[in-house]
Amino acid sequence: MCCSHSYGFLTSKTEPLAALFTTVPALSSQNRPDPVAKVSFPVNPTPPQGLKTRVGYRVGSGNGSVFTRAAVQDVVSVAEESCFYDLLGIPKTGTQLEIKQAYKQLARKYHPDVSPPDRVEEYTQRFLRVQEAYEILSDPNRRALYDRDMAKGLHFARRRYQNYDEDMEDKSQWKSRWQNQVSELKRRSNYKDSGNMSWGARMRRQQNESSS
Amino acid sequence: MAAEPAYFVASDSETSGEEKSSFPIKDVAIGIDLGTSQCSVAFWNGSQLELIRNTRNQKLLRSFVTFKNETPSGGVSNQLAHEYEMLTGATIFNMKRLVGRLDTDPVVHASKNLPFLVQSLNIGVRPFIAALVNNMWRSTTPEEVLAIFLVELRALAEVHLKRPVTNVVLTIPVSFSRFQLSRIERACAMAGLHVLRLMPEPTAVALLYAQQQQQISQESTGGGNEKNALIFNMGAGYCDVAVTATAGGVSQIKALAGATIGGEDILQNMMHHLVPDMDNLFSSHGIEEIRTFGLLRVATQDAIHKLSFQESVQIDVDLGNGTKICKILDRNEFELVNLKVFEKCESLVWRCLHDAKVELEDLDDVILVGGCSYIPKIRSIVTSICKKDIYPGMNPMEAAVRGAALEGAVASGINDPSGSLDLLTIQATPLSIGIRADGISFIPVVHQNTAIPTRREVFFTTVHDNQTEALIIVYEGDEKVAEMNHLLGYFKITGIPPAPKGVPEITVCMDIDASNVLRVFAGIVMPGAQQPAGPFMEVRMPTVDDGHGWCAEALEKNYGTSKDLVTLQRKIQQ
Repeated sequence: MCCSHSYGFLTSKTEPLAALFTTVPALSSQNRPDPVAKVSFPVNPTPPQGLKTRVGYRVGSGNGSVFTRAAVQDVVSVAEESCFYDLLGIPKTGTQLEIKQAYKQLARKYHPDVSPPDRVEEYTQRFLRVQEAYEILSDPNRRALYDRDMAKGLHFARRRYQNYDEDMEDKSQWKSRWQNQVSELKRRSNYKDSGNMSWGARMRRQQNESSS
Repeated sequence: MAAEPAYFVASDSETSGEEKSSFPIKDVAIGIDLGTSQCSVAFWNGSQLELIRNTRNQKLLRSFVTFKNETPSGGVSNQLAHEYEMLTGATIFNMKRLVGRLDTDPVVHASKNLPFLVQSLNIGVRPFIAALVNNMWRSTTPEEVLAIFLVELRALAEVHLKRPVTNVVLTIPVSFSRFQLSRIERACAMAGLHVLRLMPEPTAVALLYAQQQQQISQESTGGGNEKNALIFNMGAGYCDVAVTATAGGVSQIKALAGATIGGEDILQNMMHHLVPDMDNLFSSHGIEEIRTFGLLRVATQDAIHKLSFQESVQIDVDLGNGTKICKILDRNEFELVNLKVFEKCESLVWRCLHDAKVELEDLDDVILVGGCSYIPKIRSIVTSICKKDIYPGMNPMEAAVRGAALEGAVASGINDPSGSLDLLTIQATPLSIGIRADGISFIPVVHQNTAIPTRREVFFTTVHDNQTEALIIVYEGDEKVAEMNHLLGYFKITGIPPAPKGVPEITVCMDIDASNVLRVFAGIVMPGAQQPAGPFMEVRMPTVDDGHGWCAEALEKNYGTSKDLVTLQRKIQQ
């Protein structure tokens, strides 16, 4: 493994520019049994206003980049090694099969259900990173984008990879098939529904009766 | 059980789940499949899985509790002389269809013709349910009934294992909201049980499948390739579908889909088909009506069971009120009457395949479990979609509880020298979780079918100039309109520094840990600021209680749009 720190990566699918950061209110972070939230942060001693802020940045947002500044130097030092391929321990030419196998092997090691009880927190953070790497590299479109950025040395930015596919092309094939199915079902039910009252219709009738 | 209290209440705290991770694991968790009509208990005996039998040598126990005098007794210890005994009004069953539902829920309304009393006032609170004891309707709650039943299950397991049992892995329907899960946890707490995991039923089956596949690949040379399986589970109350990708003992849940639809709906449809004005006949809920209803229900249930194995069935029942039903029913008619149910099943399978992004040709196995998997139409629906024969290695009635017991052993940290416990389930969120924003829209923060544990965040901003407060209203579901989803809770962010609308940045972050505990974080960041404006909030969800039906409406009435948020649109820089 190339990363020696435990990082809380916070990623978002709807946020166009994926961010990574961890915030934990200082007050409640002491007695919490939850392994994810009780991360101990190696950098940045508790800042004022009761918030521990660490590791995280966004690219391309002009404002609100408090997490960026808090963490830049730290991220850069680690990021040089921690590309997703290194994280999964596979070559950059790795096949989908290798990616899947690496993901499952690392999950067996770092998933909180199976990690050693005294290292659950650290391993959970690693699992979240492995999960992110897997999600991006197992998607050919996002992987291509990531590879392109990595060639330019931009891959630390982690832009867009998280939500790249959501409304875009890779769903379209499935979507049309799915929609065909639905319209077929509708057509059939209209055709056959004439005689018997449907379950849904009866529900509605019952509800009307009982509320009147 | 005798004269001592049937159950004790261990904790009434909404935060009882807080013990989850700190709870010392003393004993290997047992698996419980808490079904709508049947329950079973299994455990890892050190070398393999074993189902516990009751004193009458039964592995599948009927899920019901009968109230007589002051001593309720459930289906674990109680022997029914005949099915009719369950239908006298003194017995509560179908708890799993009622637990955690409001009295405005169609599923609650559909339960009104059950022999016990289900009353709803349509005001968004818990429905009133009662059992007929000594000619009086004695009130109870679904949680209480479940707790009484769980106490019996626990006693059975303790006698069998000769040790105290506290840790359990319970299977639950995919479509359960987090509020419903909290009700199940409450019932367990009332029964003195600690929930180690709540496992969607098909994911328990997926874990058992992962174990089987691992054993096969160890025996054969090579192997280790990923296998995709579709799991279809349909019992009396719920239908669930999952797609899992399995390799090396790891079951990765790719997608989940579920609905409140099951054998009970099929039964209700058939009863309405045989006696079209059934709802009017039984609306008064008198002793005679209950008896008549019992006769009809047993005869219909019997006919449905027979239709799984024969083409047609003769129904001959005297309802005793001058109505006699004498009819030959065939499969075609049965399938036509239940068309909607079957179509719903079909659409769930399609949706799950779609969400999993697994192509049909990449599907290696199709697994059918649950009582309804014996219905020929169900089998043909699933096999014709998947173009595959049904995987032969699963016992439809035992797979879920065996999977739960496996998870119990794995999550309790048990190792097996043979490697048969080198297993893992990577669970996924069955429903999206998000907040109300952009008007009345539901904006997901954690999307459906996200692998857990997970942490996701979305940024929002204010809608008014100098807006100082914002309401975070958290919902779970997949409807575009926030209010159509399950409300999980709400809280207020205060102290937003005065600024034009659209400037303050409100971060909403959701964290789900491996025990499926949801925490919502929210805070304010002003542009250019080095630090957040004030402490972040951390709220464990769900926070709502039973009377939450109109909460969202009350918030709307009191606050209008004054504390609204919109999603923060970011400029994408290339």
